[in-house]
Amino acid sequence: MTLPGGTPPVLQLQGVSKYFPGVIANEDVTLDVRPGEILGLLGENGAGKSTLMNIVTGIYQADAGEIILDGYGAEFASPQDAIRAGIGMVHQHFKLVPAFTVAENIHLGWSETPKWTSKAVLEARTRALSERFGFPVDPSARVESLSAGEQQRVEILRVLSREARLLILDEPTAVLTPQETRELFAALRAFRATGNAVIIISHKLDEVMDITDRVTVLRAGRNVGTWNTADCSPEMLAATMVGREISRQNLRVRSGDAVGVSDVPVMTLRGVGVRNERNVPTLSDVTLDIFGGEILGIAGVAGNGQRELTEVLTGLIAPSSGVILLDGASAPDNAAAFAAAGVGHIPQDRLNSALAPSLGITDNMALREYGQPPIGGGALYHGGAARSLAEEIATTADVRIPDFAMPVRNLSGGNQQRLVARREIRIADRVLVAAYPSRGLDIGAIAAMHGYFAALRDKGVAVVIVSEDLGELLSLSDRLGVLCGGRLMAVLDAAEADIERVGLLMAGRGGAS
Amino acid sequence: MSRFQRFPTASPRRILACRAAALFVAIAIVGLVLAACGRNVGELGRLVLISTIGSRFGLEDLALFMSPLLLTGSAVTVTRRMGLWNIGGEGQFYLGAVGAAGIGLFVHGPAILILPLMALAAMLCGMAWIALPALARAFAGVNEIITTLLLNFVASLLVYWLATGPWRDRVTGALASSGRLPVSIPDMWGVVHWGFPLGLLIVVGLAAVMSSTRWGYEVRISGASAGVARYAGMPVKLRIISAMLLSGALAALAGMFEVAGTVHRLQGGMADNFGYLGIVVAVLARGSCLAVIPAALLMALILDVGIVLQTQQVAATAVLAITGLVLLLVAIADECAHYRPVTPAIVRPARSAS
Ligand SMILES: Nc1ncnc2c1ncn2[C@@H]1O[C@H](COP(=O)(O)OP(=O)(O)OP(=O)(O)O)[C@@H](O)[C@H]1O
Ligand SMILES: [Mg+2]
Repeated sequence: MTLPGGTPPVLQLQGVSKYFPGVIANEDVTLDVRPGEILGLLGENGAGKSTLMNIVTGIYQADAGEIILDGYGAEFASPQDAIRAGIGMVHQHFKLVPAFTVAENIHLGWSETPKWTSKAVLEARTRALSERFGFPVDPSARVESLSAGEQQRVEILRVLSREARLLILDEPTAVLTPQETRELFAALRAFRATGNAVIIISHKLDEVMDITDRVTVLRAGRNVGTWNTADCSPEMLAATMVGREISRQNLRVRSGDAVGVSDVPVMTLRGVGVRNERNVPTLSDVTLDIFGGEILGIAGVAGNGQRELTEVLTGLIAPSSGVILLDGASAPDNAAAFAAAGVGHIPQDRLNSALAPSLGITDNMALREYGQPPIGGGALYHGGAARSLAEEIATTADVRIPDFAMPVRNLSGGNQQRLVARREIRIADRVLVAAYPSRGLDIGAIAAMHGYFAALRDKGVAVVIVSEDLGELLSLSDRLGVLCGGRLMAVLDAAEADIERVGLLMAGRGGAS
Repeated sequence: MSRFQRFPTASPRRILACRAAALFVAIAIVGLVLAACGRNVGELGRLVLISTIGSRFGLEDLALFMSPLLLTGSAVTVTRRMGLWNIGGEGQFYLGAVGAAGIGLFVHGPAILILPLMALAAMLCGMAWIALPALARAFAGVNEIITTLLLNFVASLLVYWLATGPWRDRVTGALASSGRLPVSIPDMWGVVHWGFPLGLLIVVGLAAVMSSTRWGYEVRISGASAGVARYAGMPVKLRIISAMLLSGALAALAGMFEVAGTVHRLQGGMADNFGYLGIVVAVLARGSCLAVIPAALLMALILDVGIVLQTQQVAATAVLAITGLVLLLVAIADECAHYRPVTPAIVRPARSAS
């Protein structure tokens, strides 16, 4: 591939390789990014996308190969070096200090932060930056109180304020609402228009088709090719990533020996409400029957009570009003008892709430079954049995693990998600509550997981899926509930639901079904 | 091409090798400094060797130092597993001594009954001493480092008051300590009492509890991530309280061993920093229970060497300096152990046609 004469690429990688014990994360990767373009980086979970970008930004050092910046060889010993050279990255898992304000996070570890300063000065500077780059943020807000989309804006602003010319985004849209995604893309286009470059990692092919100029696909750590986006189709990209065609079957069709929908609900909510610490209602008067053998989708814009609903359904919080029945009897009052009763939970934020990042894979996989034989039973914990369980889960989840004592945070984002999903599916005899289950998964893994959900449904388990992706919900669900402002606006028959009606309900209009 | 790369996990063997090197460097530095001060390093070294591992008396001393360190070290390790710090080992040690001395002085009977009773009373006192910090941590999130630390001073003064006041020795009229306890832990080897093997046994037992009980697993998970513990519905508050109570009991047991095995009376200042040194031991052991044994041995060696040096007119503060040096070098060694040379599995030319 020849470059249009004149301007050198912003960044060029030549034969970059990176090895971890037992894993080839990247091998012989060659790619380039030109000024004024958005390059998509695609690949399956564990293909080495995040690792490659961590090499570019100086977090890891390549074991072989060269990084060429503006036509000159470069070597980054640390992320600071990369930032100084104009390369900024927003990571898959945000790296902000939750207890600090937005202004403090923006100014943290920045050479241009005034030595002696005050809150007011930092906030004024942050406001100026936010106007200059067109990323609205609230400088005095604490990061922990922000939504994922807002946190991401802070991350991007942090990078842009260091005068980045190359912005790297690792799965930026995984945690965004469609509206936030549109805003992000508009900002990226504006950034590109001034001659800057962007590398964006994503598993969402329609977004890749929409925003990128060219795409590079990695498979098992190697570059399989680079194409102009205009010459690609989502199907072709998917096939290139996985190395085979992905067959899509109609998941709404039940298998021959499916159990069918139960007559009595497995779980019932009656007038359930939840208030947060400041006594503001975040979920109000939800009445809902969930039947075995059905998939219930929950649609809605993020932040409209989804978290509270999933936590109530899994026993993590007790409702402040109303009752919950499990199999007709009043539900237990703690999460462990819910899990023991066969309620699985794939939460929104897996790395921090479903996994202990610093502990090994074995310990993490035993989380749901350490209380019963063969791992537990009585007061004991059998490490050997836990290890076999972890191996079994890793095999069914199709995750290759070189070392089960390795901290789970070293796995790729998608592989963490696969393990959590399998662990929860194992224990879900009655109900599986999955929040944004396909976030961070590649297309093949999403198809596989949807297949598992369908299989659970056919076994007679109730599956509750919270998602923002109406396409995903409509292709899977039997019924579709819509949340808005903490209220369940309606529960529709998914076969008859049309997107327009659902959209109106999500916006809080046209309730009363 | 091969280069050094930092790995997320380091095998125990690598850590051990790096630490051995660190100790070697520490010895070399101490030797050099002493030589620079005009000391005869060879002669000092010979003396140190003889009076530590080179003679029966040296070994006995080592074992005596080790017994309390094993217990206070595991006391801190238990809380480390929960992600907490018990800085109050010193105070719980004192309370253990008080409990044990109280029984020993005022309850009379055969040693076979009195000794277990003393141990029990000691552990209860230690638990009571840490109960307030534990409850405050579990229910109000009050930082346990501060609360446990402050109680040390109270405990130390309490012992001074008891030993010089109500419980003072009325037989010999000694002013600084209580009377001699009628029972004592029997000696097994010279002046080494049975508390030493018991301490080793307790450490091994604790390691088993941590790795192969449900409680140990829950403590490990809760200590690593509060979010996950909540998600799995673990009783985190109970685990905080139980881990801290266990920690208090272990440190208090060290106090009982000291009273009933070595000192035979209640004395002001008798904790002799064993509580604080337990923190050093736990740091050296990196949160692993079994590693408390070699860590305590190392600490005991340093203490012993310090005493020998003092008899040779080297300042007492030298012990502190040596401890600091060893800790620093060991920390560096631990970090180095994470680096390993890597050679790419398949070496390819850097450039290839795409
Ligand atoms: N620090 C590390 N130590 C050991 N192995 C690692 C480390 N970081 C990454 N890996 C391994 O390298 C491989 C590539 O991981 P990477 O995070 O780059 O994947 P990815 O393409 O970003 O996947 P995903 O789409 O799931 O985020 C994985 O097998 C992962 O387990
Ligand atoms: Mg990744």
